[in-house]
Amino acid sequence: MTYSSGWPVLPRTIIKRERWPEGYTGKSIPLVYREQEVVPDQPVLRISTPENIVAHEQKAANADSAHARSFSSSPTLFNPSSDIDIPSGLHGRVIGFTPRGGVVIESHAALLQGAVGAGRQVAGVLTMWRTPSIYSPQPIPPGAILVVPGSLTFALLHQALNSGVVGVVASSITLRDLEGFLRTDYLQLLRSFNREHMLEQLPPLTILLTEGIGSAIMPAHILSLLHQYQGSIALLSGAFSLRDGQFPELAISIPLGELEKGWQPVQPDITLALGSQVRICAGKQIGMVGVIDYFFAYEQSFASGIRARAVRLRLEDGSFEVVPSTLIERIS
Amino acid sequence: MYTQPYPEGGQGPAQQNSATPNSLLVADCGAVFTKVSLFGLVEGQYRLMARGEAPSTVKPPLEDVSEGIIQAINVVEFVTGRKFVADKQIISPERPDGEGVDVFIATVSAGDPLRVATLGAVTPELDSLASQAVSGLYAQVQTVPSPSYVAATTSANAGVPTGGPGGNAAWTQERVAMEWERQVGRLREMQPQAALVVGTADGPAGPAPLQEACQLLISAAQENARQGNAVAADGTPKRYSVVYAGAPQYVEAVRRMLQNVADIVRVEPLSSATQLSAVSAAIGSLHEQEGLQQVPGYDRLRNWSLTTPVASATSLSSLVRFLAQHYAMNVTAVDVGGSTTTVMLAGEQGEFIPMVNSGIGVGTNIGDILQKVGLQRITRWLPFLITEDEVRQFVLNHMLHPQTLPTDSRELALMQAFAREAIALTVEAARKSSQLELPDTDLILATGGVLSHAPKYGQVAMMLLDALQPRGVTSLVVDSTMLISQLGAVATAAPVMAVQVNENDAVSHRLGTCVIPFGNVQQGQLAVRVGVEYSNGRQLNVDVMGGSIEVIPLQMNEQALLTLFPAPTVDVGLGPGERARAAEEIDGGLIGLIIDARGRPLALPVDDTERQARLLQWSQALGA
Repeated sequence: MTYSSGWPVLPRTIIKRERWPEGYTGKSIPLVYREQEVVPDQPVLRISTPENIVAHEQKAANADSAHARSFSSSPTLFNPSSDIDIPSGLHGRVIGFTPRGGVVIESHAALLQGAVGAGRQVAGVLTMWRTPSIYSPQPIPPGAILVVPGSLTFALLHQALNSGVVGVVASSITLRDLEGFLRTDYLQLLRSFNREHMLEQLPPLTILLTEGIGSAIMPAHILSLLHQYQGSIALLSGAFSLRDGQFPELAISIPLGELEKGWQPVQPDITLALGSQVRICAGKQIGMVGVIDYFFAYEQSFASGIRARAVRLRLEDGSFEVVPSTLIERIS
Repeated sequence: MYTQPYPEGGQGPAQQNSATPNSLLVADCGAVFTKVSLFGLVEGQYRLMARGEAPSTVKPPLEDVSEGIIQAINVVEFVTGRKFVADKQIISPERPDGEGVDVFIATVSAGDPLRVATLGAVTPELDSLASQAVSGLYAQVQTVPSPSYVAATTSANAGVPTGGPGGNAAWTQERVAMEWERQVGRLREMQPQAALVVGTADGPAGPAPLQEACQLLISAAQENARQGNAVAADGTPKRYSVVYAGAPQYVEAVRRMLQNVADIVRVEPLSSATQLSAVSAAIGSLHEQEGLQQVPGYDRLRNWSLTTPVASATSLSSLVRFLAQHYAMNVTAVDVGGSTTTVMLAGEQGEFIPMVNSGIGVGTNIGDILQKVGLQRITRWLPFLITEDEVRQFVLNHMLHPQTLPTDSRELALMQAFAREAIALTVEAARKSSQLELPDTDLILATGGVLSHAPKYGQVAMMLLDALQPRGVTSLVVDSTMLISQLGAVATAAPVMAVQVNENDAVSHRLGTCVIPFGNVQQGQLAVRVGVEYSNGRQLNVDVMGGSIEVIPLQMNEQALLTLFPAPTVDVGLGPGERARAAEEIDGGLIGLIIDARGRPLALPVDDTERQARLLQWSQALGA
């Protein structure tokens, strides 16, 4: 199961997230108190970096400073000294503090979980990427979390990094391009125990891929959600550890206005049932989405010779496909 | 080689007091799949009645091992038409209408291995003993010797890169401090859950290494507290579990030093193989506390079970040793799982070499195999060309979706290539840990999804022959029902049932007898002439050339007398050129009598085209 929350998209849920910009080694001071209501661009944490690592941190924080300026004019958001103020990224209530100094915030949010990701936790304004043309070149706004509906490339990632973007949400990328950009063995990164140390080595650009490795495009329902919240501040985490059970995610606090309309969180059901919308997560049809049309009572045989319990799917293009039931995961 | 005590208290499964349940459900909760089997009485004999399988649910979003068990039981319910679960509880005992079961038991291999740091004055001998002590457990051990011990036993110029800080320096205070930082860094990277403190006080560094071992742990605990890592359920910093097997006169001092950060279990000082059992039992007990009991949903599982759930490896080791003693033969069991690969060798005299290779598996840990062996060792088993990108993408996808099955033959071949290397790595680890040449085996028992669910029996035989590279004469059996990891645990509750199910259902898929000539096998030259005399009197002579595999027809339930005439430089177990005639008839199998004359060690052609042609030729010979 790829999705720890059950489904890749939870349009309404209540989350509790520690605001902690991994990769920093300085001392952190919470700027809020328990039960305080916070807004997304409000600083909740100040990180004081030791003198000897200021230069390193400054480099890594360039993106943060730029993005902070972009979504708020508050002078407290970025302190030009070696202290770095970390914005909440969420609208919600402070419910606690962690031993390392992180602030735990409870928020009503939309949650998008990625299949693959990398990088530290960042906050930024969700901005849709449009393919530039020579007539209307699109500048990439610094401090943004860029949404790319299609596949990422090495060049686009570098362009985003150089523009001061703090994060990118896209559908997919080739493993070669991802590793080339991160300058690391991604398979090893996933298994690492010392995640903080690994994060220090990564470029300061957080990546979340909804479909994972390959060239799949972003499903319509995910793109629609991101369109809906374009311009909102979101909290993006690329932390991905199979050992710690951490998965990349994008959390977008739901505006107060929407909460007042009898707001109910979605309870994801991962049971496979007739009519369930599912995604194929391996094999030649990886990434395809369909609806369960039929459950076979007995094991079916596949091209490899393997026999397994199986279902028949009606894919989005109207075709039918028989797949092992272990190859699919429910997505809504 | 050493003899471990049976975890059930010093008795083999067959010697336990006899209970006579009518029915029993056993669940084996693996890292990727949960298997449930139903045993019951059929015409006076205990038999496997049905089995079900479902993805394990230890990880989010369900995070409850019992959910996967219930899903697997639902499959058994569908097959049998009986009901075993109501309101998420096992119906027990069995009712007159057939609903429910008398006994439920569970084995667990899900969850992460216990990370153990070996601290103190860790000599190479103690390092090896520590590895042996945990070799049969779901545990990973890493040595972090005390800086003063490293300084006292390493020459001044050793271990420091030339030109680096302290290069060519004597062991000054600064260099010892650097060594200290290095060891702290290793603990930080490893994040141990437990520690084994070893070493005497009369070594070259005196008692200082024991003190430093404690200081290292305290330092790691303080760092964890600062970082907010390793926090117990109640929010307090988690305490380390320490097995103290060092100098006895310092145990109280160690206890005092670590009183705020660790709980100490004292065992006999580790100095030779005779103390291995005690250390192994202590760490096994820690695994139960820190590993098994931390598996989400363990409490419900415990409530369902007649006996405490045991580690699958413990259950497997009981069965393997029982088989070795019962049939008076050397038995090798191979279990390739999603996160762990296990190879266990048991001899009829009680010899036992276990190797639970935690972190090597064909599921979430498939990436570790690639990292350890490299691309070449994987692709050499493939009869087609493949790019590095394709292999790495396959690996990544399988790490993320370990429950997926290979649906096309290309993916299947890749998966089986990884399985070969997982087994080979584990055999290498067993050899290194035991520091012995592994004995020839009479019976190879294969289990685990990639072996048990292989579409063709020939593929299983091929994987075993390639990876284990046995020599002489042996038999191959595949546990298609995936029962053998469970039967050791079943034996603790119902020994008669375990024995009968084992004979009737678990080891029933006999692939065949295998003859593997070794020595100087010349490619393309006669390696061995095989004479087969069937029970019906028919005789057959087959010349097998070096570099080839031949299968001689010998069906299940058929027997034959075998005579082997090796070439002068070739050995079939009695010495080069020595003729061998079996005293007893050999049994047939699902494949037949296999003659693997490819030579040992197995060398694959360097040229890609030739290698692929050979792989296809061998596969076709075995019907793979």
